[in-house]
Amino acid sequence: MNPKLTTPARGDSRPANAIFRRRPAATTLAMLAVVIALPLVVPSATLACEILIFAMAVLGCNLLLGYTGLLSFGQAIFFGSGAYVAALAMIHWQVGLFTALLLAAAAGGLLALLVGALAIRRTGIYFVMLTLALTQMAYFIAYTLSDWTGGDNGLLDVPRPPLAIGGFTLFDLASPLAFYGLVAVLFVLLYLGARRVIDSAFGSTLLAIRENEARAAAVGYDTRHFKILAFALSGAVTGLAGALYAMLLNFAPLSNIELPMSEQILIMTIIGGTGSLFGSLLGAGTIVILGDLLSALWPRWMLLLGVALIAVVMFMRGGLWGGLESLGRRRAGAARKAQEDA
Amino acid sequence: MLNVYLFQILNGLGLGMIYFLISVGLTLIFGLLNFVNFAHGAFFLLGSYLCYTTVTLTGNFWLSLLLAPLAVGLLAWLLERSLIRRIYHLPHTFQILVTLGIALIIQEVSIMLWGPVGKSVPTPELLRGIVRLGHFAYPQYRLFLIGFAALVAVALWLLLERTRFGALVRAGSESTETVSLLGTNIFRLFSVTFALGVALAGLAGVLSAPLRGANPFLGPEILGVAFVVVVIGGMGSFGGALAAGLMVGVVQSLMASLWPQGSSLMIYAAMAVVILLRPYGLFGRA
Repeated sequence: MNPKLTTPARGDSRPANAIFRRRPAATTLAMLAVVIALPLVVPSATLACEILIFAMAVLGCNLLLGYTGLLSFGQAIFFGSGAYVAALAMIHWQVGLFTALLLAAAAGGLLALLVGALAIRRTGIYFVMLTLALTQMAYFIAYTLSDWTGGDNGLLDVPRPPLAIGGFTLFDLASPLAFYGLVAVLFVLLYLGARRVIDSAFGSTLLAIRENEARAAAVGYDTRHFKILAFALSGAVTGLAGALYAMLLNFAPLSNIELPMSEQILIMTIIGGTGSLFGSLLGAGTIVILGDLLSALWPRWMLLLGVALIAVVMFMRGGLWGGLESLGRRRAGAARKAQEDA
Repeated sequence: MLNVYLFQILNGLGLGMIYFLISVGLTLIFGLLNFVNFAHGAFFLLGSYLCYTTVTLTGNFWLSLLLAPLAVGLLAWLLERSLIRRIYHLPHTFQILVTLGIALIIQEVSIMLWGPVGKSVPTPELLRGIVRLGHFAYPQYRLFLIGFAALVAVALWLLLERTRFGALVRAGSESTETVSLLGTNIFRLFSVTFALGVALAGLAGVLSAPLRGANPFLGPEILGVAFVVVVIGGMGSFGGALAAGLMVGVVQSLMASLWPQGSSLMIYAAMAVVILLRPYGLFGRA
């Protein structure tokens, strides 16, 4: 087999990883600081919500691309179906907040299990194209089932139920800031969960598969099994993000399940930095904020996204996080040198 | 009743020839360069728009049939020399990401130049009529499309099978090192093949413009179809692209009258089945 086909996406993400591992507490604190400061810094709480929701989806994508080396164009399937499932359950069954979110995560996870089980039967470019074909199929299925999904118009009037336990309402989430609180708590939990997963033996195995699948298999790991599990985890997280997005917008558009959504999530992942959890937050934040600021000034701002994607792949494969890392290293080196000179 | 099916089959052959022209470029580039071009759909789009502009400015469709593919090919050649060439050695993942960026740029620039709303291109005056065969009537342009694309296919086959260039491309697909060692400037061969493959996508864009017009969001859709055809036919196979292109075109066209919403769904399902059962495609080699 052509070695090119099996070489996983890695690039310069290794140094970012190494430092990230050395100082996990520092990046976790930085993440917490960002999550707390976000609604104060960005123009609106709604925008802050959007950033964290996409950061969640990027976290899911990163688990596949950054930690397992799988480039999946299928993320829109999980994001879109999470949105539809939560919205439908709330509209038709009047389920509460947590049930809706759980159902969305379960739907995303199950679909990802299916997509993963099918797609990982092939590697390299065939794997990528299978995920692409499955996204197109999901799009046309959602489009065809317009009685359920609203087709081109999407699902309107998606509710945002209050935070309630046993019929007792704790918080009303109608205000954007209150909803931000919920999204922030969920994001922090998922972030910490992802950390645990990556630092576990399971996570190390995923990294081993990313670095060299043949060797991981030779050591005795059932790599298929691990890749499918990574898919299921990624799908559940992405499905949850999709459900929150539908609640935020009170709307579940068909575009949630389209190929461009997969592309957008992928681009956020790469620009933020593959193989870094903090990079996920950075990537989603940068692109959502840029989109918000620039789309008013220049509707064609996506052009810059294309340029940025090319630039990152060509010159800065660690993404923004990798860039910050090397900047930090350079400054640390300069400081050490200054100390030695003194 | 039979006429309806004949009509749809002819439509499907026309559609299939367009699919073939897009996919053969993709397959040629993959076969020789082992390069995955996610911007291929965007170049098709550009072909359609350049056709629109040429026809609007000069009123001459035939001129656009010549100029648009040349312009698209030239752009591809420049891109190859400046950017694509630097990423041949990278894993497919990076090739996909860079060409995805190029596709995004082309799509946005197209919207800047031609606006977000699709443009329609008039059928060339010479071909506005219909052809009658007894009770059966068929638009002239669609017949021309099938014939012209077939001529291009034959010319391309001759180019690949009967010329020195074709021999080098075929040999290069087997082993670029050997061809390079035998004294061929492999970089020039790569540039020309890349430009040729992309120009064919541009040509497909021109031919489809009078039927479907030009629309900025056509790119991802066409790219999806092109991958379906290439995968079903087998990566790097000329005959595979032709057979699979026609097959997908005819099936999609027949489905359009039986179950319209399902016609697109079908082709992606077909591709998934082929990848799973025959990973190298119906005509590909392991």
